[in-house]
Amino acid sequence: MEAVIEVNDLVKEYIITKKESGLRGALKGLLFPEKKTVRGVDGITFSIAQGEIVGYIGPNGAGKSTTIKMLTGILHPTSGSIKVCGISPQADRKSVVRKLGVVFGQRTQLYWDLRLGESFELLRRIYQIDKETYEDNLSILTDVLKLQEFIHTPVRQLSLGQRMRGDIAAAMLHSPSILFLDEPTIGLDADAKHAIRLFIKEINQKRGVTVILTTHDLDDVEQLCSRLVVVNHGKVVEDGPMVSLIHKLAPHRLLVVELQHPFSDLTHPLAEIIKQDGLKIWYKFEKDRISAAQLISELSQKLPIQDLSVKEPNIEDAIREVYKTT
Amino acid sequence: MLQAYWYMTKMRLLTSLAYRFEVFASVGTNLILMLASVFLWKAAYGGGTQQINALSLQDLTTYTVLSIMLASVFVCGVQDTIYYKIREGQIVTDFYRPIPLLACYLADDLGGMLSAMINKVIPLFVFAALFFGVPWPASLAGFLLFIPSCLLSYAILWLLSALIGLIAFWVMELGNMGMVKDSIVRVLSGSIVPLWFFPESVQTVSKFLPFQYTYQTPLGIYIGNIGIQDALAAMGVQFIWVALLFILLAACWKRTKSKTLIQGG
Repeated sequence: MEAVIEVNDLVKEYIITKKESGLRGALKGLLFPEKKTVRGVDGITFSIAQGEIVGYIGPNGAGKSTTIKMLTGILHPTSGSIKVCGISPQADRKSVVRKLGVVFGQRTQLYWDLRLGESFELLRRIYQIDKETYEDNLSILTDVLKLQEFIHTPVRQLSLGQRMRGDIAAAMLHSPSILFLDEPTIGLDADAKHAIRLFIKEINQKRGVTVILTTHDLDDVEQLCSRLVVVNHGKVVEDGPMVSLIHKLAPHRLLVVELQHPFSDLTHPLAEIIKQDGLKIWYKFEKDRISAAQLISELSQKLPIQDLSVKEPNIEDAIREVYKTT
Repeated sequence: MLQAYWYMTKMRLLTSLAYRFEVFASVGTNLILMLASVFLWKAAYGGGTQQINALSLQDLTTYTVLSIMLASVFVCGVQDTIYYKIREGQIVTDFYRPIPLLACYLADDLGGMLSAMINKVIPLFVFAALFFGVPWPASLAGFLLFIPSCLLSYAILWLLSALIGLIAFWVMELGNMGMVKDSIVRVLSGSIVPLWFFPESVQTVSKFLPFQYTYQTPLGIYIGNIGIQDALAAMGVQFIWVALLFILLAACWKRTKSKTLIQGG
C-alpha cells in the first residue's frame, strides 16, 4: 500500500509569554515579558496508507489539533517534514487542500445565512467541481446522510446533528481522497452518531477514502478504526492495530463473581480483588499468568459461587493505561 | 473562480435584501441625519442668500444628501468580518479553501453594496427629492465623472478597512480601532462638513492624506465645485492612493499570513 501521508520527525514549538498574577505581575509582563518555548509537537513520525481509517487520539492538549493543522498546511512546522500525496502542504497549500476534506465538530464551514444547498453550490464554484460530478456526489451524499429534509433550510436554523451532516457533506463534495475528522460526533445524539459512523465506513469502503479521525469518543474509535495512533505530550506513544494495542496495554481480565452467601477467605494468589460490593466480587487477573478457566475452577472449589462472568478490557481501559503511564 | 465570487456577491445581495428591519432602521437613521444636516446648513446660511466659499445652499444640500447616500452604499464589512472570524476561530475554515480570503470578503461587501443601492439609496433619494427637490448634478459631465470617482473612493475605503482588519491578526483584540478609523474618515473625508470650510492648514495637510479623496472628491465633482480639469487631477490622486494602499495591503497580508501560519496566531 502506498503511503498518502508521511510525517517525519515533526516538531512544532510555540513561544508563549509567561503571565504572572496580580497587578505587579501584569506590569512586569508588560515591561519585561518572559518568553518561554513550548514544544506542542515533539518529534512525531508516522505514515498512513491509502484507504486506512486511523484514529488519532490523545488527551486534551496532546498536540492532536496542531498536527492536523500542520497536515493541512495552515501551520508551518518548526522542523520535520510532511508529505500529503507526495506534496508538502506548506509549499503548496492550495493544491493540497483540494485533495482534503476537513470537518471540525466544533466549527462549521457552512455559510450561516445561506440555505444548506446554497452553501453547497458556493463550494461547487470554489472547488470548480464540474456539474456532473457535483450532481453525482450530491445525490449520494443526500441519500446516505439524509439531507433532503433540510437541504433548503438556512444553516443557522439547523440542529447540531443536521449541521454536522451538512458539514460532512460539504467536506466530501469535491471528492477528496483524504478526510480529516476532528471530533465529528461531539454533542450528537445516538442516532446521528450512528448515521455518521455508517457514512464514514461507507466512503472508506466504496471510495477508498483515507480517514483520519481525532475523537474523545471511544465508541467511534472502536467501531471505525483499524489502527490507532496515540499521542501524549507531543509524542507518539502507541501506534498499531487496535486489537494488539488493547492486548498490549491492558493484558488483564476481570472476573466478576457473585456468591450465594458471605464467605471469609476470598483471596487467590494470582488474582487481585479490586472491588467488593455485598456478595459481588471483582477479581483482576493477567491472562498470561493464569487462564480464566483455571481461575474459575480454583475459586469455585472454595467459594459458594452463584454466578460469574469474565470481562474483556475495552479500548477505554487501554487508553486510560496509556495516559496514566506517560 | 470568478463564478465563486459572483455567487458570493449574489448571495449577499439576496440575504441583505431579505433583512427588512435592518433596511427600515438604516433608512430611518439616515433620513434623520439628512434632515438635521440640511437644516443645520439652512441655519448657518441664516435664510439669506449670501454665498460662502462660492457654495450655494442648494449645492450644500445636494452635497449632504448625496454624502449620506454614499455612506450607506460604501459597505466595508471587511474589518468586522476579519475581526469576528478571528475571535471565533472561524478563520481556520476559510484557510482550508483553495481561494484567496480577502477576495471573498470583497465579493461579500460588493453584494452588500448592490443591495444597499436598491433598498437604501432609492428610498433615501425619494425622500430627499420630496423634502428638498431632486438633487441634480451640476452638469452631465460632472455626473459622468462622479461615477468612476465613486468607484475609486470605494476602493480606497475598502482597502483602509481591510488594513485595519489585518491588525486583528496581530493583536487579537481590535477594540475601538475600527471606530477610531471610521471617525477619522468621517471627519477628514468631508462627508459631514466639506473640508473647504476647514482652516487652510487642515486643508493643506489633508491633501496628503487619502481621506478627502473618499467623499469630498466625488461629491465636489457632482455639485460642480470641482471643475472638469481639477476632477481629472483629483481622480488621478485617487488612483495613486488605490495603488499605494493595494501594494501596502498585499505586503501586509503576505506578512500576516506567514506569521499566522508559522506562529499559529
